[in-house]
Amino acid sequence: MSNLGRILLVEDDPKDVELTMTALEDYKLANEVVVARDGEEALDYLYRRGNFATRSTDNPAVLLLDLKLPKVDGLEVLQQIKSDAKLKLIPVVVLTSSHEEKDMITSYKLGVNAYVVKPVDFHEFVNAVKELGIFWALVNEPPPGSVKKS
Amino acid sequence: MKSEKPDARTLSKLAKPLSMIQGYGLAVVSVAVALGLALLVDRYHVRDVEAPLFLFAIALTAWYAGAGPAALAFALSSASFNYYFTEPYYTFYVTSSDLPYYIVFLFFAALVAWFSAVRRRVEQDLRQSRDHLEEEVTQRRALNEELALRSGELQVINKELEAFAYSVSHDLRAPIRHIAGFTELLQKNSASVLDERSQRHTTMILESAKKMGNLIDDLLAFSRIGRAEAHKTMVSLQQLVQEAQSEVAQETDGRNINWKIGRLPACYGDRSMLRLVLINLIANAVKFTRTRPQAEIEIASTNHNPDQIVVSIKDNGVGFDMKYVNKLFGVFQRLHAPEAFEGTGIGLATVQRIIHRHGGRVWAEGLVDGGATFYFSLSKAQGI
Repeated sequence: MSNLGRILLVEDDPKDVELTMTALEDYKLANEVVVARDGEEALDYLYRRGNFATRSTDNPAVLLLDLKLPKVDGLEVLQQIKSDAKLKLIPVVVLTSSHEEKDMITSYKLGVNAYVVKPVDFHEFVNAVKELGIFWALVNEPPPGSVKKS
Repeated sequence: MKSEKPDARTLSKLAKPLSMIQGYGLAVVSVAVALGLALLVDRYHVRDVEAPLFLFAIALTAWYAGAGPAALAFALSSASFNYYFTEPYYTFYVTSSDLPYYIVFLFFAALVAWFSAVRRRVEQDLRQSRDHLEEEVTQRRALNEELALRSGELQVINKELEAFAYSVSHDLRAPIRHIAGFTELLQKNSASVLDERSQRHTTMILESAKKMGNLIDDLLAFSRIGRAEAHKTMVSLQQLVQEAQSEVAQETDGRNINWKIGRLPACYGDRSMLRLVLINLIANAVKFTRTRPQAEIEIASTNHNPDQIVVSIKDNGVGFDMKYVNKLFGVFQRLHAPEAFEGTGIGLATVQRIIHRHGGRVWAEGLVDGGATFYFSLSKAQGI
């Protein structure tokens, strides 16, 4: 994959991380994935603070965001990103277990780019992750200032 | 009363009733005062003021003391008038020439007394309705407080339920997804290591996880119906039936089903909820006729009642025993073995909940191995 964007996966559950990584690996989309384990870490990454103080300045091509997270939850992360002029261009995909309409409406109001409910069925899950990965990291033309290998 | 609109306080001041003695006293005193004044004025040869004075005394008595004292004032006034002011003076005898004057006086006096009495009665009524209203207001205030309290409690409970449903939605689905996911990976990557028995076991784990996932989804959908707001619009049942049919198309592929769909009316309701009702009932009809070489599914509406629509969905499937009819619409109630017919047992409970939320009724008739008919009623659409 030559034109692969970096994916920031914000997910607290290690099992979900492993399943998502497996799905991405199956389609060779996993080489540019950064995992943040909670909302705070995700914001640290985006603002280049703490452990991520030394990372390169470019933004990820897409952010896969779980909603239920320790410390700072997904909706708060989303709100922070979309209200920051430097970050608001990053495409954010909510990837959640929650079927709740309330979450979906709030996410869209905050300006989320896509909302995906994790399917219980593994094949569907793999497909969903694959399609997300391919679309956002490969097909979609990310805003200027994002990581995009050429 | 100075204010134009009497408030409750001025009304009650006015309305304070005089005691009987006070009332009759007032009659005697007011007539005596009127008589005194009339005699005084008469002495200075000012004529024709005595009649208005007596009328005023009667009016005053009637106004403040009611009908009885007014009658006394009337009698006293007419007697005094007769005695002192109609010829021949100082007798109770009335000459024929003065008779019309005397009669006119009596008539006016009666009229004034009557007006005052009417006004008193109106005031009495007013006072009564005011008391009644006050009582009602007090009661209503108490009821409102009670209602506010209950609604507060309900809101708390609802919040808790919502949090519960949210937690179920999020936290319960995750481990199931993991079980399914990792079992799938196990099957894929270690198929060569596992013997046939173990492979069968992993398949069973997968099936169970999937079933659990469906159960949770159905249960969540069911609880959401109770909480979601209904957005009622005009809904064409005919169109909904078509949509429901295409929704179950996967199940009907390769089946021999004879659909008979009658003319269905429009109704007033929440479109997506009613759609779910029809999908559930039609999917059931399709499911339970699976063992039939030629399935018959008939959807019709009966229209006997002027303000109700009754829709029936009839099939020639395996039916059910009427003995268990009251279990049919319960949550997690199933009348068939899961090997024979899959399902979570929430479909009909969802149907019932939606129809109840629309103010309708749902019921069923069936016969073991003789098909089943499901009915639901909805209020008819008004003003299409």
